[in-house]
Amino acid sequence: MKQRETIALGLMALATVGTLAAIFGYERYRRATQFDVVLIARAPEYGNWDPRTITVPRGQPVRLHIRNIDTVSHGFGLPAFDVAVREIEAGTATTTTFTPDRAGEFLFLCTVWCSERHLEMTGKLVVQ
Amino acid sequence: MSESSPTQEQAAAPEPAKEKERLFGLLDLDARFDLTRFRLIRALLKSRWMPLALILFNTFMFMIILVATLLGGFSAGNYNFGIMLVWILWWVLLMFVLVPVFARAWCLMCPFPIFSDWFQRRRLINIGEEPKKPWGLNRRWPKWLKNMWLMNVLFLVTTFFSGFLTVRPFATFVLLGSVILAAFIVGLVYEKRSFCLYLCPVSGFQGLYSQFAAAEIRRKDDAICKAHKKKTCFIGNEQGHGCPWLLMPFKFEKNTYCGMCLECFKTCPHDNMAFNLRPFGADLLVDTKLESKGLDEAWKAFIMLGIAVVFYLGFQGPWGFMKDMIRGTTLPGFLSYIAFHTVFCLAVIPGVFLAFCWLSKLASGNREVPLKKVFTGFAYTLIPLGLGVWVAFSFGIILPNGSYLLHIASDPFSWGWNLFGTANFPWTPVLTGYLPHLQGIAMLLFYLFSVDYGTKLARRIYPEPAQAKRGFVPILAALTAVTFLFLWLYMG
Ligand code: SF4
Ligand code: SF4
Ligand SMILES: [Cu+2]
Repeated sequence: MKQRETIALGLMALATVGTLAAIFGYERYRRATQFDVVLIARAPEYGNWDPRTITVPRGQPVRLHIRNIDTVSHGFGLPAFDVAVREIEAGTATTTTFTPDRAGEFLFLCTVWCSERHLEMTGKLVVQ
Repeated sequence: MSESSPTQEQAAAPEPAKEKERLFGLLDLDARFDLTRFRLIRALLKSRWMPLALILFNTFMFMIILVATLLGGFSAGNYNFGIMLVWILWWVLLMFVLVPVFARAWCLMCPFPIFSDWFQRRRLINIGEEPKKPWGLNRRWPKWLKNMWLMNVLFLVTTFFSGFLTVRPFATFVLLGSVILAAFIVGLVYEKRSFCLYLCPVSGFQGLYSQFAAAEIRRKDDAICKAHKKKTCFIGNEQGHGCPWLLMPFKFEKNTYCGMCLECFKTCPHDNMAFNLRPFGADLLVDTKLESKGLDEAWKAFIMLGIAVVFYLGFQGPWGFMKDMIRGTTLPGFLSYIAFHTVFCLAVIPGVFLAFCWLSKLASGNREVPLKKVFTGFAYTLIPLGLGVWVAFSFGIILPNGSYLLHIASDPFSWGWNLFGTANFPWTPVLTGYLPHLQGIAMLLFYLFSVDYGTKLARRIYPEPAQAKRGFVPILAALTAVTFLFLWLYMG
């Protein structure tokens, strides 16, 4: 009888705290192992690129994971390294890889006319 | 009723064989098929793990939904796991099978009040050695609020925000969060499942439409209940809690307020509780002193019908400006939507229905029957019809959008996960070419139920069969008109 209560409590902990731990644990693991930079795309009035500045080392391949959590499509362009993701639909995510071979600061930007303030949707890539 | 022994009852003059009432003139309305005759089902219903196991599973599901609606940000409504699960899967399941077939089967597995139960009982699954006083203030719910009015209002108010709930994940998070929190807080103050009985926004329509359901929990044998003086199903014993929904399992006749929590299967020492399958709609005829037909339930029926019209216009209809109103694109538009919606549900529909009831009374030629009795009585004919409207509406949700479920199952938070390899499953509408036909068939089927129960209700409202026949004509006209209205809306 005592045991039954303990099992139930255990299952309850699993269903609540366990679920949270599993969700965030898995996401952390994924970020750590599968790509180096996570970028969130939103129109400027809803938060813009997040982060606005990305810093990566020179000469190593970068796996860039872009999540569009907005209600409109966005795009991603990094002209200095010929990177272009033409359209990331609302609510979807995409991954792209490139190798920055020179140091410096480079512009990245949204390539889809997403809002009145679309032109402000830019960010900075710092290659060290 | 006196405690007469069975032999005495038999000795009394045999009642004039009451004609059995049959659904569509075929199925005996008293027919029951008790599932507890199967040993496995009986054991399940008596196990303390039922329904807790299901509740724990849904706690897990709602945990994910909460995270998805909170952190999913402004992702497109259709791609948010929380929104999809709540408003496409859950809502459709409710309207499609859970309520029309299994009554309050959702309440059986609902995770919202589990924390309140846990707190009050101080245990999650066990009962405790001796009856202990439950934690919390354990107050009685005020008598004047023991009806559906509060839930009617709360549900209507919730639908004001339907345009946000289905598009903004955060709105759904707030709604679910407040329901869970409110269930807990109310549980601190009021006894047992007072929240479920009189406040939960999704409780009212489940209670109302459960009257139509093809399943019920009832006592098996009245005589056994009568002989069992210590009503353990009501007060509880070492096997289970007294009815958390404050019903008297040995007495109640109507599904409305039975949360199917299965405690009475555990607390009845005589195994006298049954889980019955029965003809659809059996409760629509119940009108006892304890469970009388009332205006609160009548209004619930009106509101549900009104909401269905407004939702159709706002979500599936062809008029863009209505969509903008319901989505709150402009404040004046949103406010006029609220005003129209409220007046339509609370006054226009009941008003029109009242006019038909007045005609019914006129046509019947019976002047003694109070109009209120005609009105409340016939309002129950709107229950099958209303369910039909909702089933039809649900087709319109699930067929076009169902395939999203595969996508979101693999990537619940739009973080780029692909748990089951279905994250890139394209949007595939299913059978949408047949959508109008399916909606039409659903409407007509439930319309037939409404008509059939209408004739039976007429017999209860008007004492003379001839009066009943004449009095039903205007109601039939009203039911037919509503059905055609929806057929026109759905089928064009
Ligand atoms: S009434 Fe509401 S909170 Fe209570 S069990 Fe049913 S759905 Fe859940
Ligand atoms: S009668 Fe009461 S105890 Fe029995 S299943 Fe219904 S709500 Fe639970
Ligand atoms: Cu953009």
